[in-house]
Amino acid sequence: MGITWKNLLTLILSVAATVMVINNAPADDEAIFPMPAGKTYVEECGSCHTAYAPGLLPARSWRRMMGELDNHFGEDASLSEPQQLEILKALETLAADGNQANMRMRRIHGAIPAGTAPQRISETGYFKFMHDEVRPSIWKRKKIGTLANCIACHTRANEGRYGEREVRIPQ
Amino acid sequence: MKIRLLALLLCANSAHADTPQQILDGLVAQAGPASVTRGEKLFRGKFSGGKTADSCTACHTENAKLPGQHARTHKAIDPIAPVAQKDRFTDAAKVEKWFKRNCQEVLGRVCSAQEKADFTAYMISVK
Repeated sequence: MGITWKNLLTLILSVAATVMVINNAPADDEAIFPMPAGKTYVEECGSCHTAYAPGLLPARSWRRMMGELDNHFGEDASLSEPQQLEILKALETLAADGNQANMRMRRIHGAIPAGTAPQRISETGYFKFMHDEVRPSIWKRKKIGTLANCIACHTRANEGRYGEREVRIPQ
Repeated sequence: MKIRLLALLLCANSAHADTPQQILDGLVAQAGPASVTRGEKLFRGKFSGGKTADSCTACHTENAKLPGQHARTHKAIDPIAPVAQKDRFTDAAKVEKWFKRNCQEVLGRVCSAQEKADFTAYMISVK
């Protein structure tokens, strides 16, 4: 079988199609977390800080947090009761120990000692393990500044996407 | 008929998205005439009542046309002046929400209707 324009074209098209599929498929190692439906969560919680994926903490952490919004890390972040209930329900459903938790979320939950309800994601074992290669000088960069500023590097964090391929560390 | 329908559609739409001037008119109706100068003084002033920041500019920067950064979380904040950020001061409920939060965070109290009117007038005046 000689090389004809027809089978050369077929080859090129199949390579192109394969490349597209590989580029678009979420790889197994991409950290993608389910996020609450609707806009309430991102608009209310995500206006002062990253809209953290619920799967980064267990339900007991979220319950405590949502019960103390009048003193939220020293600030009054109170919500109206309907919003508070809507958000809490979503957080509990999608939490690291929720019914639909994926492998990654179960690992996050597994690293949190029973009986504790951590309030800072950055104090959980999984966060520390995943960020141990980030130098202190990088955290201090003006556009990053705090461990709470996920979205500074994980640009699609508000969509629950923390995959390494989507990390862009600001200078 | 077509024109009437169009007018109706525009009215229905404006119930959700106001212009900054309409937001200001609403505040002035509660407070009385607004002062751009007083509004700018409030924006640039240093205060000690709040726990998050000592001024509006701590997060929103001295230039209302530039993006800011949350004083504690460092999350990026869109510019606050409507000239630089089209959706600013176009949703009355959102404007109230942020006055409630930010006045508490900077002044440690709620803002008066007069302060809100002055502040909004200043933001609209930024060109």
